[in-house]
Amino acid sequence: MIPTVAPAPADADQAGTTTPAGTPARNAGKAAITKFSRHRLFTSPGAVAGLIWLAAIVIASLTAPLWLPFKTEDQDFTAVLSGPTAAHWLGTDELGRDILSRIFAAAAGTLGTSMLTVIVGVGLGTVLAMLAAGAGTRTEAVISRVTEIMMSLPGTVIILAVIGAVGTNIPVVMAILGILMSAGIYRVILGQAKSLQSQLYVDAAKVDGVGPLRISLRHVLPGLANTIVVQAALIFAVGMLIQAGLAFIGFGPPIPQPSWGGMIQGASQHVYDAPWMMVPTGAVLALTVLSANAIGNALGKAPNAAAPHLPSAAARRQRAKAVAAIAAAAPKPEDQAAGDGASHSAAPEGTLSVRNLSVGVDSAGAGNGVRLVTDVSFEVQPGTVLGLVGESGCGKTMTALSLLGLLPSGVSVTGGQILWNGRNLAAVADRDMEAVRGREIALISQEPMRALDPMFTVGYQLTATIRRLRGMNRAEARKEAQSLLEKVGIVDAARILKTYPHQISGGMAQRVAIALALSGQPKLLVADEPTTALDVTVQAEILSLLRSLVKDTGMSVVMVTHDLGVVADICDQVAVMYAGQVVENGSTRAVLDHPRHPYTLALLAADPHANHADDMPERLATISGQVPQPKDWPSGCRFAARCQFAGSACLEPVPLLPSGTGEGLVRCVKADQLAVEGMDWLATDVPASRALQVTPRQNLRTLNTIVEKDPA
Amino acid sequence: MALFITKRLLMALATVLVVAVLAFLLVHAMPGSPGAISLGAGASQEAIDEVNQRLGWNDPLFTQFFSWLGSAVQGDLGISLIDGRSVSADLASRLPVTASLAAGATVLSAVLGIALGVTAAVRGGLLDQVIGGFVGLLVALPAFWVGVIFVYLFAVQSSIFPATGYVPFEVSPQDWALSLALPVITLAVGGAAFIARQTRASMLEALQQEHIRTLRATATPTWKILYVHALRYASLPIVAGIALQFIGLFGGSVIAEQLFAMPGLGQAVQTSVSTHDAPAVQGVVVIATVVVVAVNLVLELATKFLDPKLRAS
Repeated sequence: MIPTVAPAPADADQAGTTTPAGTPARNAGKAAITKFSRHRLFTSPGAVAGLIWLAAIVIASLTAPLWLPFKTEDQDFTAVLSGPTAAHWLGTDELGRDILSRIFAAAAGTLGTSMLTVIVGVGLGTVLAMLAAGAGTRTEAVISRVTEIMMSLPGTVIILAVIGAVGTNIPVVMAILGILMSAGIYRVILGQAKSLQSQLYVDAAKVDGVGPLRISLRHVLPGLANTIVVQAALIFAVGMLIQAGLAFIGFGPPIPQPSWGGMIQGASQHVYDAPWMMVPTGAVLALTVLSANAIGNALGKAPNAAAPHLPSAAARRQRAKAVAAIAAAAPKPEDQAAGDGASHSAAPEGTLSVRNLSVGVDSAGAGNGVRLVTDVSFEVQPGTVLGLVGESGCGKTMTALSLLGLLPSGVSVTGGQILWNGRNLAAVADRDMEAVRGREIALISQEPMRALDPMFTVGYQLTATIRRLRGMNRAEARKEAQSLLEKVGIVDAARILKTYPHQISGGMAQRVAIALALSGQPKLLVADEPTTALDVTVQAEILSLLRSLVKDTGMSVVMVTHDLGVVADICDQVAVMYAGQVVENGSTRAVLDHPRHPYTLALLAADPHANHADDMPERLATISGQVPQPKDWPSGCRFAARCQFAGSACLEPVPLLPSGTGEGLVRCVKADQLAVEGMDWLATDVPASRALQVTPRQNLRTLNTIVEKDPA
Repeated sequence: MALFITKRLLMALATVLVVAVLAFLLVHAMPGSPGAISLGAGASQEAIDEVNQRLGWNDPLFTQFFSWLGSAVQGDLGISLIDGRSVSADLASRLPVTASLAAGATVLSAVLGIALGVTAAVRGGLLDQVIGGFVGLLVALPAFWVGVIFVYLFAVQSSIFPATGYVPFEVSPQDWALSLALPVITLAVGGAAFIARQTRASMLEALQQEHIRTLRATATPTWKILYVHALRYASLPIVAGIALQFIGLFGGSVIAEQLFAMPGLGQAVQTSVSTHDAPAVQGVVVIATVVVVAVNLVLELATKFLDPKLRAS
């Protein structure tokens, strides 16, 4: 068991920035109103317009008899096929009937019967989905088969056959249309209903003896509400279109009664002599359908879509501007040479020097310029391994990705320099980074299974990469791929080359991913928690592989990890990160043996491996609370709220200063005092006397939370 | 894979059978007996009874269904009550019309939809919003209305295309293409919008996959990431979307055929339903189902073939 301080989901570094703020209780009422007005429905202009239009149509059609200037059957033979006039605002048809009056007279029937489709379709679909999700796999299989059959039917043709049997009884036809459409709705809702059914609180309710019907109604249905409304809006639109289409081909309400489809059909007869007639009815129908769709789409929009790993062209243009700004702001090479003393040309090949790096969310996006990494500096000498260690959410991954220019969409370097062989990569355009990625700096990531393209064989991915990065021909690349796989410890390389990623194990996939990273013979390997997702025994193998690769190839490694065991095992230097800052750095030996920052002390005290068996404490220490969200970072020490030693001096900004004895740096005003007094992080809750009152909210959280242990 | 194909074939067969039963029952629920319909108003009750007797209308439903099924399997779908022609022969002459229409519309909407969807996802920004708005509008426009507008623009205002009618391919390939143009474009408008949405969503999902980052980290050129890797990943849901769209377009051909006076299956459904021509309705429902189910089966197998996980198993 390799202990970790805080187990967190893989992308917590990134996800943390988008979590909405908790609302203080005293503002609850106001917040509810704000929340309502910020509801997805009201933030989309299209949806608001759609709601207004639908409401207007419904009200206008219900009150139609009160205000319509003409009866639907009034014929004005003095104005046949007229365009808009003062008397007939939207013109007249071939019998001189007022189009405006007929549109609104037809609206109630059209909308009402389309609702019938919605009620039957969405209702049946939802009931079937909840039944299938709740009643076990056999029932689900049967219902799913039936709905599959329903979905593969030519619905329009069947509806016409139904009309043949029941006549143009629109309500019945629309209800049957609802039955046909319920299959698609079932498909949409089933997945969600199943995931709700498998929630722990549903299991708990089952154990408590709550009946399946009650579970469905109390626990599953509320979770489906939004999806149901979305589907209802979309089906409403489809219902209207189909109904109008049926009326258009002559299966509408009986003759003198107006219907939108019938009116368009009538207009199409006069497209040669009175094309205007097409416009009003078509526009009203289209706008009504558009409104329903807009409402459905606004509600159905995923609130927090993950950022693409390849930003869109528009986002790349924006990024290019930011990079240009960085390049302009960065010191000129000659200033640098003068200012630094050591000229960059003197930097040995393969040296990475990160200086005052800041990474933040782009101010144009939802995060509004939140800083994720501030003022981070470190050096990596050729052939050495630097560990970036800290809890999830400390900005380690962002720091690592910025080295390759692979920050997620919407996040970019906002300041500082990434000097690789003396060249500032933070100011290099994305296009030019392609010459660096893979060839000079390579990446291996946390989840090997997800890092490989599931659609292509291992062999294709490796050979394509080798050919691109090394300019080899197909046969040479194939040979090189096999030898790379052997180099990373794969015995039956020839077989693995032919497999798809889903056919190999996680450990094997990580070896393949490492081979892929090595294929361009990089000088620096950025490894983002390369062992976290793997079994413990495989973790050790991968680490020893990395260690031997460093020895054999002389490349250097930036190893992101939250595991002090990994640091002790493989790293020469270590930088401890907390809340977007480096809080302590130095040689691994110095930092692990003589930690000076309270956070490092705490991490070590919380790690059973850091202690000898004989002085294993009875109780492992914990760090109460959690890493603050970037937007909550205080101006003073960011660890103060969780620190056992915090005092009033910690409210001021703390610089990174040389630590008293070693060659490292530490960001703590009390570091010297702690060292002198030899204080340790206590394995108890923070005594009230030693806790710093920072803000009431933070303390509530910090005092009550226990740091969980990694389930691995 | 073989097991999968067998399963799917059985499902397809079951679907067609279910529809056959359904069509049979619906036709029997139609008002009027076959005798009354074929002889028209003013026929004597004896004559009507005589025809009904000859057609087996008074036999038990089971007997009637299986005798119909027996001949249907051999390709005989009975005789039209209205004009006495063989339903099979009539539908056989109509099928190519609807098939060209639906296939043309599916191909056109796939090409347009994929192009629009990929552009929206890849370019992003303003262009994405413009395409999104445009596609949203296309989804909301009724096909028949669009069709009439096209007739007005391209056949009335400028006679680029014929307004109505269908020219068989054998007669003149060029006129065949011209006569199909407006109906195909009309149907493809909504289809393209649907596929564009599906494509955009699938492309964005593909670009969120972590292996895209690996590809960038190994200096894969952007075009290759987009059009080889991401599009390949997105291809499964896109093909599934096209399959669904084909069903819709096949049904939509009823409207297009009516609007453009094309002698296809859709027109046959429309007239036979209006005239209560039971064997014709039954025949056309079953044939339409067979076509739709068969095309879907092929596209579904294509989807599975695109997925290495299923192909390998």
